[in-house]
Amino acid sequence: MSGSPEAPADFDEAVYLALNPDVAAAVSSGASASGREHYVRFGAREGRRYLPISGEVRAPVVITMATRRADGSRAPPPAAFGVEAVHMSPGGGVFVAGWIDDATDPLASLTLRGEGFEYDLAQVSLARLRRSDVETRLGSGARHPYGFWSFLDLGRDLARIGTCQLIIRQESGAGVTVEAGVLSVPDADLRDAVLAWLAGTEQFGDRHAATVACLEGGLGAHLVAHSRRLTAAMVADPFVQRFGPEGGRVRASLVVCLYGLPEFLFLQNALFAGLPGIEEYELIFVSNSPHLADRLLRDARIASLVHGTRQTLVLLPGNVGFAAANNIGFAHARSDRIVAVNPDVMPRQQDWAQRHLDTVAALPPEQTALFGVPLYYEDGSLMHGGMYFTLDSAPVESRGRLVRHDLVRVEHYGKGAPPDDAALTRARPVPAVTGAFMSFRRDWFEWLGGFSDGFIFGHYEDADICLRSLAAGTPAWLHDIRLWHLEGKSSPRTPATEGATFVNRWQFSRSWAAAIRNGLLGPAPLHPLLRAPR
Amino acid sequence: MIVLILSVFHPELVRGGAQRVAWDLFQGLKQVPGVRPVFLAATDRGLPALYKTGACITGFDGLPDEYLFLADDVDPWWHKCSDPRLIEAYADFLLRLRPDIVHFHHFMRFGVELLTLTRQMLPDCRIVFTFHEFLAICAADGHMVRWTDGSLCDHATPARCHACIPEAPRERFVRREAYMKAHLRAVDAFTVPSDFMRRHFERWGLPASKITHIANGQMPPDGIPASPSERGARTRFGFFGQLVDVKGVWLLLQAVELLRADGFTAFTVEINGDNLRYASARRRAEIERFIEAEQTRPPGERIVSFAGSYHPSQTGERMARIDWCVVPSVWWESFALVISEAWACRKPVIAPDVGGPAERVTHEEDGLLFAFADARALADTLRRAAIEPDLWNLLAAGIAPPPTRRQMVREFLSLYAGGSAVRRSA
Repeated sequence: MSGSPEAPADFDEAVYLALNPDVAAAVSSGASASGREHYVRFGAREGRRYLPISGEVRAPVVITMATRRADGSRAPPPAAFGVEAVHMSPGGGVFVAGWIDDATDPLASLTLRGEGFEYDLAQVSLARLRRSDVETRLGSGARHPYGFWSFLDLGRDLARIGTCQLIIRQESGAGVTVEAGVLSVPDADLRDAVLAWLAGTEQFGDRHAATVACLEGGLGAHLVAHSRRLTAAMVADPFVQRFGPEGGRVRASLVVCLYGLPEFLFLQNALFAGLPGIEEYELIFVSNSPHLADRLLRDARIASLVHGTRQTLVLLPGNVGFAAANNIGFAHARSDRIVAVNPDVMPRQQDWAQRHLDTVAALPPEQTALFGVPLYYEDGSLMHGGMYFTLDSAPVESRGRLVRHDLVRVEHYGKGAPPDDAALTRARPVPAVTGAFMSFRRDWFEWLGGFSDGFIFGHYEDADICLRSLAAGTPAWLHDIRLWHLEGKSSPRTPATEGATFVNRWQFSRSWAAAIRNGLLGPAPLHPLLRAPR
Repeated sequence: MIVLILSVFHPELVRGGAQRVAWDLFQGLKQVPGVRPVFLAATDRGLPALYKTGACITGFDGLPDEYLFLADDVDPWWHKCSDPRLIEAYADFLLRLRPDIVHFHHFMRFGVELLTLTRQMLPDCRIVFTFHEFLAICAADGHMVRWTDGSLCDHATPARCHACIPEAPRERFVRREAYMKAHLRAVDAFTVPSDFMRRHFERWGLPASKITHIANGQMPPDGIPASPSERGARTRFGFFGQLVDVKGVWLLLQAVELLRADGFTAFTVEINGDNLRYASARRRAEIERFIEAEQTRPPGERIVSFAGSYHPSQTGERMARIDWCVVPSVWWESFALVISEAWACRKPVIAPDVGGPAERVTHEEDGLLFAFADARALADTLRRAAIEPDLWNLLAAGIAPPPTRRQMVREFLSLYAGGSAVRRSA
């Protein structure tokens, strides 16, 4: 059938077989003459893909049918299945995705076997998901998650693995062994691809809750472990350059984490410089975007000349996220008062810097160990007056049952409220404050162990450190020093950051849902350390 | 007293009103005993041979106290210089020269952060900034004309600006405004060439006490006939300026078409100027179609002629060929130097009833005003000017001498000395 006019011009035999392992099996067994013939006769009508979507395996997949039962007899193959991705990274990440028609004969095990390792993914890290394309292909109206995917952090070098085996077994004994070509992907690319995959997964029922729930059973833990490993490698040896005057007293350090948009460096220099008290501060910019290095170095040099500011630029080789970037920024600070400031935070009160120093000097240490401030939207309304916690409960379908999942939601006091509502802006202890502006006594921050780098890219690490501080006996405070926060516009959002949001919410809920139920729920929590002074 | 004047371009290299005024001030200050003016003009890669390897600031044709700032890579949104070497060179230049006054006639091509840098390098110098348009307020080319419908804009808000430039989120305008204001804080005194501009900048948040109205003053153009020609019909109209959209030559051509359609053809229009290549594609096509159609007419039926570019020294002789100077601008027009040139040549002006022209031209006393951006209103005004007996004589007799260079220099010297605002009545 070679050269058939029905075959698309960009049809690729190898890619089609890789994307459709059952066809490859048919070709291998002689049932079909070629992938092209199969596509023309059946595949086009069945809606089978012949082009890979981004990140999908292009490596060849070879099927061996020699799967055998325990008694040695030859097992029949599954009715229909597909292995669509086997990706591995040098740092030990493994991503597997595919589907199987197991609506009536459940998947019993999915074994990944390679040189020196063998894991039953169903036991360590496997999630099922809805695949409407598979439903269409099978003509199935069943409410059944045909898709599967897994992520493992094996912590060992997988750079040179060319192929591995994926052994699929169903409860009836049916099975197949897939000899899969491995696509080797850089560690960060694999993490981002998997997070993007997660963000795009289809689910039955409440999509958000079901996506978070699928991280149970190992997936979430492996993703976090992999990200931590990446982060540790990237922060190990940063490029650090200091600008501006040496010497002089530094009473506070503003640490700004940059990602994607370089303009915030010169903007914050311009907006913070020259204000009362700011001469006793230093600026520390930590870049999570290596491609901006040259631009940031030039801008920092210019800004120091133009404004006379003391500043440090810390350049990282990749995106380590908010927590790790701030941790390393704080490590390079030259003062005992360290402040995490989002790039899109701007002074609303011209004397904010002096007020911040005065607040620290005047108040008891326990009220300034960790504190936030009221932040405002660009339209003038309140954006943040502290944070509190609620729980979202949702039923998630699992093996024909509805399982309750509680997810913690972090809310801001007074979001969108009029600017001068004293109940929202007055000094008081609060369950948490936003990471957009967090002022720490340095020794307290270090005693707490810094921000947790288990939160991928960003979100929830601010609430997490506040809860750890509270658990250690010192709640976060809000003090009335006012700044603007152009929320959500400081860095571009990507599918990977969307995926990370699911992982972070899963992790935060897993860590804190129980504690929050016990005295920290709602805008007026009962926790004794959060009783506001009148 | 050393006065450093920063000009967006050198008028010998690139024509334009802002650089013309900066240059006139430089020349005028040279005549003042005890004052040493220094002229630093930005340039661009349009003349690449000016860029000498490794140099950031160079001399200009061996002329004393004239320098070129070899600008490069200036971000057009933030108006920020991206080359630290240029910044360092400017700082060195300042420290070497140690001017008492640094007078910016723009931040475009220099970078607005040079204001703060100047204050940083010379804490005691006096920084003066002259606005020639609204670029600090308006990211839409600084004209404060709404890109949504071409109407005039009288104030900026994040939502209004976002409507003009939808690809920029509202927060970006907030940041731009904050950034501009942060650097403009370094300025001791602002000046505007027309009083109405004060309202825009005050509403934007600049302190009223810092803004002074100083009109652009000029030397009279060369080649002005000793006395206006004695003739009956006053039916010759002239346009002088750039053929870019905001100067409104397209509006004038639309008015001509309307009159022709009405059957009124007893007049001529001479277009003087160039830079059609900087017009928008739509207006350029419109103008080119008009030119082509006009040239296919028999010579006796042609109304509009295109006289092309001219050197400032030719202004007088070009003005001598017309009776009325038409200023059809479709933006606020901060001053309109051409009005001064027309008045110096005793030519009444026909101009829109807004902004700088409305402030300068008094309707039916020294010129005629028509409804802003309204081709029909302009057509009716042209017709009236061409046919109404004695109107030209009446208006020509009402023309007062335009502001002089000497007057402008005197007012700036007063401002440099820390004098209070010199305000002209609106």
